[in-house]
Amino acid sequence: MENQTFYYDNKIVKNFAYATLFWGVIGMVVGLLLALQFIWPALTFGIPYTTFGRIRPIHTNAVIFAFVGNGMFTGIYYSLQRLCKARMFNDLLSKINFWGWQLIIVFAALSFAFGMTTGKEYAELEWPIDILVAVIWIVFGWNMIGTIIKRRTQHIYVAIWFYIATFVTIAVLHVTNSLAIPVSLFKSYPIYAGVQDALVQWWYGHNAVAFFLTTPFLGLMYYFLPKAANRPIFSYRLSIVHFWALIFLYIWAGPHHLLYSALPNWAQSLGVVFSVMLIAPSWGGMVNGLLTLRGAWDRVREDPVLKFMVVAVTAYGMSTFEGPMMSTKTVNAISHFTDWTIGHAHIGALGWNGFLTFAVLYYLIPRIFQTKLFSVKIANLHFWIATLGIIFYAVPLYWGAITQASMWKEFTADGFLKYPNFLETVTQLKPMYAARAIGGAMYIVGIVLGVYNLILTIKAGKFLPDEAASAPALAKAEGKRGSGEGVHRWLERRPVQFTILALIAVLIGGIIEIVPLYLIKTNIPTIASVKPYTPLELQGRDIYVREGCYTCHSQQVRPFRSETERYGEYAKAGEYVYDHPFQWGSKRNGPDLSREGVVGGRQYRPNSWHYNHMENPQRLNEQSIMPVYKWLITDDLDISTTAKKIRVMQTLGVPYPEGFDKIANDDLMAQARGIADDLKSQGINVAPTKEIIAMIAYLQRLGKDVHAAGMPTAAVTAK
Amino acid sequence: MEINQSKTVEKDELTGDKLLSDHEYDNIRELDNNLPKWWVWMFIITIVWSVAYIFVYDVIKAAPYQQDEWKNEMAAAGGSSSGQSAAVSAADTIALVDQPSLDAGKEIWIKQCKVCHLDGGQGLVGPNLTDNFSIHGCAYSNVLNIIRVGAPEKGMISWKTQLSDDQMKKVASFVMTLKGTTPPNPKAPQGEPCK
Repeated sequence: MENQTFYYDNKIVKNFAYATLFWGVIGMVVGLLLALQFIWPALTFGIPYTTFGRIRPIHTNAVIFAFVGNGMFTGIYYSLQRLCKARMFNDLLSKINFWGWQLIIVFAALSFAFGMTTGKEYAELEWPIDILVAVIWIVFGWNMIGTIIKRRTQHIYVAIWFYIATFVTIAVLHVTNSLAIPVSLFKSYPIYAGVQDALVQWWYGHNAVAFFLTTPFLGLMYYFLPKAANRPIFSYRLSIVHFWALIFLYIWAGPHHLLYSALPNWAQSLGVVFSVMLIAPSWGGMVNGLLTLRGAWDRVREDPVLKFMVVAVTAYGMSTFEGPMMSTKTVNAISHFTDWTIGHAHIGALGWNGFLTFAVLYYLIPRIFQTKLFSVKIANLHFWIATLGIIFYAVPLYWGAITQASMWKEFTADGFLKYPNFLETVTQLKPMYAARAIGGAMYIVGIVLGVYNLILTIKAGKFLPDEAASAPALAKAEGKRGSGEGVHRWLERRPVQFTILALIAVLIGGIIEIVPLYLIKTNIPTIASVKPYTPLELQGRDIYVREGCYTCHSQQVRPFRSETERYGEYAKAGEYVYDHPFQWGSKRNGPDLSREGVVGGRQYRPNSWHYNHMENPQRLNEQSIMPVYKWLITDDLDISTTAKKIRVMQTLGVPYPEGFDKIANDDLMAQARGIADDLKSQGINVAPTKEIIAMIAYLQRLGKDVHAAGMPTAAVTAK
Repeated sequence: MEINQSKTVEKDELTGDKLLSDHEYDNIRELDNNLPKWWVWMFIITIVWSVAYIFVYDVIKAAPYQQDEWKNEMAAAGGSSSGQSAAVSAADTIALVDQPSLDAGKEIWIKQCKVCHLDGGQGLVGPNLTDNFSIHGCAYSNVLNIIRVGAPEKGMISWKTQLSDDQMKKVASFVMTLKGTTPPNPKAPQGEPCK
């Protein structure tokens, strides 16, 4: 067969690489600001746009989708062309992928700052941006599959298997979890409520980790590690087994984010066992990576690219062992809602994703600029300071997590909570938070060194936008499996069949877990006293979502003595049936709020307390790290949306009476006046039209319905 | 392309492992190694463990679900701490005056009370405790009682579920020492003047 000459598109790789560096610095600096707000809450600056609840989603989305996302595209666009011996399918699609993705990031950052959020972690984007994400993602997939189809190699390599799994699974996850009915251009309610919403969300959330942060990066590892080390992959067989096991098992493990919650027990059990079964398939990638380096370890000492890769793969191995451990009920009872989760996530993000991203950049930037890395010394310095940074980041958080969990659980000899004031358990952690901020800052210093080193490399080199390569055209292959050809080997030259099979593998677990929650009533036992929110409470709830209160406060009391003694009744599935979206949270920087409105309960506070607390939390307790929410007091509640909100809720099955939307604002104002009058009797003059009134109304509703049932805690048990 | 059927097996020179013949992707080769045995065993053990877990928890239900875990935990602790007596006994009419008790009371005050009554008891959400007025009575026994049973509709929670009898006495005694002090920005008097 005649050799054909073609050109790799390096320009798209360069663009994605620049975007990776740019968003990486921004995302991490926002992270550092968040870390400092734990020590100095005044750093929220008393304005909405820089308050923890709003910029925490900016940080997480920027690091996951902007830094790691662009890093992933950089590596995929570079390696896919070379593995397929073909230029990208279509340059225009490449450009749309690039600019579309950057546009999404800008929209995301702005919309979060302005409080437009769905209130679902890592899926906070509102519906118009969600649609844009879906379109751009399909453009990426189209471009990728097109490239694979016009490839000049017979078989597709393991890296491409992982890229395919990434594409199909993220598409399914994103669309399913984002289904919502719009109220306006910037506000929507998810079609799921309560327990169902929680399960769909964490099926998404867990698998975003799996298929956005893990599978594409395993693909990158399979290309860049053997290339950089110039060594053959340790075991082709291991690649096959761990690939299929990983994508099939991963999708089931989402419920481990909901252990000891109101999720039915059987679903929790599945979350536990599928997480534990994931250890070996996850480690398959680490083993295949590290054993590929056999015979090249002397080079690891010299080559920064390999150094970064070794730490990345080791961090991957650590977090994929830690994850399953945290998914067992014993460990989860301690780790959940604490900084353990944060430490775990950062071992993954900083160690695995961050280090592998920089390994890839250090590898390909000198190549597309036809030069050498400007300074190996600076790269080494980056390596060491960032490695130490990860340790300084994670160790204090693990320490703090165990400290705090023990304080939450400790009883006195008389049978009382030793630390009944939640704040005590936060104040105790301040030194750890300071150490964490130092660790994070060190990591950022490393990144800045990396950026500097790469800029000088770029300046010294000459960019090669179109890199010539040649390969024989792909011979028309027999569709049927040849004699002596293994099934998988056959599949590797049938990318469309491969893609369909991967899709089936990831769909099974999701369907088996999610569908029964809709079809089998007993999974969510109803509670007669649980009623829909009043219009004012609904508006207040939307403010709660807007401000990102869920980033620090849970609404999920676990069935532990230490929690029912602190908060009240443990969570029941039936109490969340009108919660679009659910707001269970995943981290307690402040106390659980789901029993806040129970008059006579342990967490009850009068209206005037909430008012004072939102206005100036530090006046009530100078140790408090709660941000101020002064604008709730000065801003008017937008009641023009009430009727539409009620109608959307009715569409979603919330049983407001027919025609209630028309009188909803009357109901709203009557309740608002009641609260304003009560505040007035306490010497606080505030108009009933202010946002704070709606917020107080919502907080005072929390937990009331369950207590109204007068049920002993154990009466409602979902088996 | 013809498949090379020759018997010469290509080997990786550094490890001596067998290379797979037509596996080459942008110069990346693959070795024909088997799955590491320890890895296979690890996988098998986790699968067996998982099957056993589901069998024990969800099939024969021999291990407690979380609701039963909670019941067991509460039973082992002798029930909820909210079961204390709410009545003020005759012995509760005299405030403690010894310094250690007052210090302990102050510590509780800082953790639990000042968040509504503020540092010096000048009041904000809760009433001023330094002036000569009171909503629920001025005597030590009144103060102790309101700490115990609360006034939930006004926002004062019942502390008997969170503080022991002894702790409530200490903090009530400390509250008695606030009377007559002059912290800044006192809240306007509420309730009836004390006799």
